[in-house]
Amino acid sequence: MTTTTSDQANIESPPMDFGDLKSQCVAPRPSIMGRRRSLSGILWLSAKGILRGLLTTLSYFRRPSTVVTQQYPENRDTLQMFERYRGRLSLIHNEDGEHGCTGCQICERLCPNGSIIVTKDKKNEATGKPALDQFIWRQDTCTFCNICVLVCPFDTLEMTGDFESSVYDRRLLVFNLNEYAGPTADQLEKLGDEELAKAQMKPMKKYQGPVPMCGGELDGIPKLDTGKSDDA
Amino acid sequence: MTVEVSSLKELVEQASGTSGSPDTQEYFVNMGPQHPSTHGVLRLVLKLDGERVLRCIPVLGYIHRSIEKISEHMNYMNCVHLTDRMDYLSSIMNNWAVAKAVEEAAGIEVNDRIQYIRTIFAELERIQSHQLWWGVLGMDLGAFTPFLYGIRDREVLNDVMEETIGARLTMNYVLPGGLMADIHPNFVNRVKEFIKYFRPKLDEYDDLLTGNVIIQERLRNVGVLSAQTAVQYGATGPVLRGSGVAFDLRKDHPYGVYDQADFEVPVGTVGDSWDRYWVRVEEMRQSLRIVEQLLDNIPPGDYLVKKLNSKIKLPEGRYYSQLETARGILGVFITSDKKDEPYRLHYRSPNFNNLWCLEPMIKGDYIASLIGAMSSLDLVIPDIDR
Ligand code: SF4
Ligand code: SF4
Repeated sequence: MTTTTSDQANIESPPMDFGDLKSQCVAPRPSIMGRRRSLSGILWLSAKGILRGLLTTLSYFRRPSTVVTQQYPENRDTLQMFERYRGRLSLIHNEDGEHGCTGCQICERLCPNGSIIVTKDKKNEATGKPALDQFIWRQDTCTFCNICVLVCPFDTLEMTGDFESSVYDRRLLVFNLNEYAGPTADQLEKLGDEELAKAQMKPMKKYQGPVPMCGGELDGIPKLDTGKSDDA
Repeated sequence: MTVEVSSLKELVEQASGTSGSPDTQEYFVNMGPQHPSTHGVLRLVLKLDGERVLRCIPVLGYIHRSIEKISEHMNYMNCVHLTDRMDYLSSIMNNWAVAKAVEEAAGIEVNDRIQYIRTIFAELERIQSHQLWWGVLGMDLGAFTPFLYGIRDREVLNDVMEETIGARLTMNYVLPGGLMADIHPNFVNRVKEFIKYFRPKLDEYDDLLTGNVIIQERLRNVGVLSAQTAVQYGATGPVLRGSGVAFDLRKDHPYGVYDQADFEVPVGTVGDSWDRYWVRVEEMRQSLRIVEQLLDNIPPGDYLVKKLNSKIKLPEGRYYSQLETARGILGVFITSDKKDEPYRLHYRSPNFNNLWCLEPMIKGDYIASLIGAMSSLDLVIPDIDR
């Protein structure tokens, strides 16, 4: 059984050559227990090192403003997340409550883990074009990679800074992002008839339709509307 | 020296094959998989004689997520986001490694602006990774205060990166052919503020930990790894440089814009935990230097040279590309069969090789030294298992 005690030990081979490394600096090896130090020297240096650490910590009592503790639940009202923060995916709705998603399913195809399911109405009666039916987002499997936001050709998705999304039931993390099923804001405008446009916007609830895992009952959680889904 | 590859069962049988004499006190102990100082789900089977470690057998597989296999069914843009989950403390560098491999194979030229931003972010990541390591090293050796200081400064840096990227840990910022977003207008100023803030803090680190006799005695001459063994085991990064081998991809095979920055590569002399400690602390200073030099010269240009949802198809063949993350060399090996998904994607992760240096390092030493030595290896377990 051997333990190494010498500083110079254990480099068996000469330094190996890996090409021309232009500049390197050798790490300094300051030592308190130097070989030629007297006992009092060692004691003095050891005490000094420990005292210096303690003084560093103590010095923060004198400047409490530099201590950085976030009082999180208390500072909720003033807490500002960065504008690019990826907290929760949302479908952008304009001030009339209309979205711009055509249901092209590009985001669904490029999402790496199938966290987006887009269903569409093949042909809307009024516009004659396909229209979005449901935009289902699975927050429980989403990795917040931001790819869907980037690939959407109509820029209708965004990440918001809302990060407080914990719930008591995992099923509540699968929901619809669109507030209505129907054509995009542009298509509705082209109809030129406000009454007709309003009629195309069928309101969509957050939990509605065939969202996976819905349907079961749990204490304190209302039964989810299963729609035409048959999964339990 | 031979490196045996055998199953754990054989290893245990081999290790317990000593005489059953009543005088010996040899016994086995499991360290982990849920041990606070293994930094994750790593299990070490230790053969001990009293308090001395006779053998140390790492057992892997507790956090295997088969990232390589999943990648075979994904396009290259999606492969990148999985690398965040390997070495989560160098996620941008992992992203860059895949992006670099794909760009080299597909012949995509990225402009200077992209290279500058990637290099700056990689160095900032290196600093925050070392900050966390520094704090955790203190905690492993029984000092809780350094952890708070390390995390405090890492938070400042994380905020700077979060403003541009929008995420704090799994960043997914670098894509094949560019970046996910341009730098935030505040970025340059905030990094400058950070550099001004962090320089004096590094001296504070020295006051807190480096000059402390207890830390010095627990790291000096503990876990000595000779240059030869380090090379034989394929160790890279600060572990290799701590053993005195001056090999750093940033200098020897420059990628990004490292060739335009003036910096030095810290190298140890003995190869003990203390040298590795010094190499990392010094690397933080050098990274600050690199960032400082590059920050004012970011050229104008696009942040993405390839359209995002265009399919990237690699020509048939095998491609290898590597770069230096905070813990060593991350290599990406791609076998392509002309599709937009890899036929096989393999990562040569730095932590896997660094981990196996633990046994030659610690053989014959006390179990208490094992903690310090392991901490000085700076292991991230999800990177070992992938
Ligand atoms: S952020 Fe990524 S994982 Fe989440 S829904 Fe969008 S593409 Fe899918
Ligand atoms: S969100 Fe964008 S990409 Fe996804 S279906 Fe709608 S329009 Fe297409």
